[in-house]
Amino acid sequence: MGDAKKREYVLGFVILIAGIVYLVMASQLKVPERPGVHVDASFVPYVLSSIMCILGVLQLRAAKNYVPKPKAGNGDDVDYGTVGKTIGLVFGYVALMSYLGFPLMTVLYLVAQFTVLTPHDKKVNYVLYTVIAVIASTFIYLTFRYAFDMMLPVGPFDF
Amino acid sequence: MLSLFQQGIEAVFTFQIFGLVFFGTVVGIIFGAVPGLTSTMAVALFLPVTYSLGAGAGISLLVALFVGGTSGALISAILLKIPGTPSSVATTFDGGPLMEKGEGAKALGVGIVFSFLGTVVSIIALIFIAPTLAKIALRFGPHEYFAIAIFSLTLIITLASGSMVKGLLSGVIGFAFSTVGIAPVDAITRFTFGQTQLNSGFEILTVLIGLFAISEVIKVAENVKHEKAATIGKVSMKSIKGFGFSMQEFVGQLWNGFRSALIGIGIGILPGIGAGTSNIVSYIVAKNRSKYPEKFGTGVIDGVVASETANNACIGGALIPLLTLGIPGDAVTAVMLGGFMIHGIQPGPLLFTTQGALVYTIFAALILSTIMMLLCEFYGLRIFVKLLAVPKHILLPIILVLCVVGAFGLGNRIFDIWTILLFGLIGYGFVKGGIPQPPFIIGFILGPMAETNLRRGLQLSDGDFMGFLTEPISGAFLMLSASSVFWHIFQAQRAKSAKRRAAVEVQA
Repeated sequence: MGDAKKREYVLGFVILIAGIVYLVMASQLKVPERPGVHVDASFVPYVLSSIMCILGVLQLRAAKNYVPKPKAGNGDDVDYGTVGKTIGLVFGYVALMSYLGFPLMTVLYLVAQFTVLTPHDKKVNYVLYTVIAVIASTFIYLTFRYAFDMMLPVGPFDF
Repeated sequence: MLSLFQQGIEAVFTFQIFGLVFFGTVVGIIFGAVPGLTSTMAVALFLPVTYSLGAGAGISLLVALFVGGTSGALISAILLKIPGTPSSVATTFDGGPLMEKGEGAKALGVGIVFSFLGTVVSIIALIFIAPTLAKIALRFGPHEYFAIAIFSLTLIITLASGSMVKGLLSGVIGFAFSTVGIAPVDAITRFTFGQTQLNSGFEILTVLIGLFAISEVIKVAENVKHEKAATIGKVSMKSIKGFGFSMQEFVGQLWNGFRSALIGIGIGILPGIGAGTSNIVSYIVAKNRSKYPEKFGTGVIDGVVASETANNACIGGALIPLLTLGIPGDAVTAVMLGGFMIHGIQPGPLLFTTQGALVYTIFAALILSTIMMLLCEFYGLRIFVKLLAVPKHILLPIILVLCVVGAFGLGNRIFDIWTILLFGLIGYGFVKGGIPQPPFIIGFILGPMAETNLRRGLQLSDGDFMGFLTEPISGAFLMLSASSVFWHIFQAQRAKSAKRRAAVEVQA
């Protein structure tokens, strides 16, 4: 089975499982019974979860009949390493922002992200990256803090 | 009327108001262009500034921010494929591919000119037919709103190019996410897992930033290291004259633009929905009515025209119920209502008689800021395009930081930043699974409208569903919805059997 066909199957199963989980969650909603009221807060979640289950089954059927299109070029050359590092950096940036503050975390994040995304044919220039990161972080912080009164987390450095 | 209009023109051409309108338009464009910042934020942030100004000057500033903010979103939608605000979601569908084809300047030019025309048509509607239109819209009740929401939701099928199952799934997931928080009517808390921050549900802006901006950054990370000179794109301005498109192309888009303006005005008048919905609906209508619907999404100017005309036409549309009835049509006009209140002005039917001069000053400020928007964006075109020379690995992380700031600014909470990451991962999952993102947004925006009005309508008709069919406007929209679904299923089946027949013939 090709990767694309496998992906279509996985998608079908994910939809079906998500639909069932949503259905269970809908059934656990604490909705007080009122005489004569048939459409309550659980009505729409029930309808949507049922549709999701049906769509999951239809997707599995579509996956069975799926014929992958021939690809031009040398196929899937996705750099999942860079994707993983980028997601990790963004998560780290947000998680540490409350403790280290926006200005410092932004500088650290930007330098790290610039480095991770630098193409192979280009040299990593830490000095330039740091200068850009410091200017961007300071400009964004000062603009939003003083022009728009936005209380971005400052961390240990109170400006 | 003419003397009042003359007074209005004279007022806006004073040094103070002229300067404020120019400033407001430029700031509005910047707010629209930066993902995460919206015209609503711009108007809300500058509301306190109007305290110290007179009524005419203060409201002119707010109007200019509104016009600039609505139009500015097209810049990032085309250049970066990231909609600056919900009003430019559909602009990315064809604006992005045009950019990839090296026709970014043309896409920007078309977007700017038709943004201008959409605003102008809506101002004309506001001046001449405002009171009549507002009275009709006021008759709409829960039944009508439910039917309109259902009709718009059925349009998802049209957007689901490729797989209908995946398109529908995207819409259903969007709708499902909108059910998080306090339910309408009986205020039952749903799917919050004890998190009080989820009580008010997810903010549309965080959903949008996550789905389009964060997922785009992750997507770029897939192959940015292997690309040579990895810039966003290249647009040569050397051969570009004027706005970058020919007179023939302009004339060819006039009907599309006019139809989109009418859609924008119509949706703008209805309270609760605005430019965020009108651009998608107008895009779908343009695609359905086109002689070449299969080209939509691959980079045709028709898509940019439809989206940008409709979202800007909402400006005049949304001001119609605000000025004539005192009802805000969308979030921006709700904030603007506050601006009126600050100056002791009560919008409503009496406004035209008691504050005639002020009303016409607002109209004149609208016209002036529309012209300024055209000029600022025209002369800024060359500067916007220069943004593309910045390498991807430098530009995208900075945009991500701006998205983080935009999300944080919604409620000064780190929670909203986590939300954009969640939707960023969902958006990336959609990209990998071949699921279209636009239906998600439609489901998320229109889902709550459909649910709320379904339940309100049932309350009004004592639980009887027939009310939705017997009310003429509601019944007509539901019939249209059903016909649209059956027509698309029929067309899909016909296309499938034609394909099968062709395959059999080839084998034979």
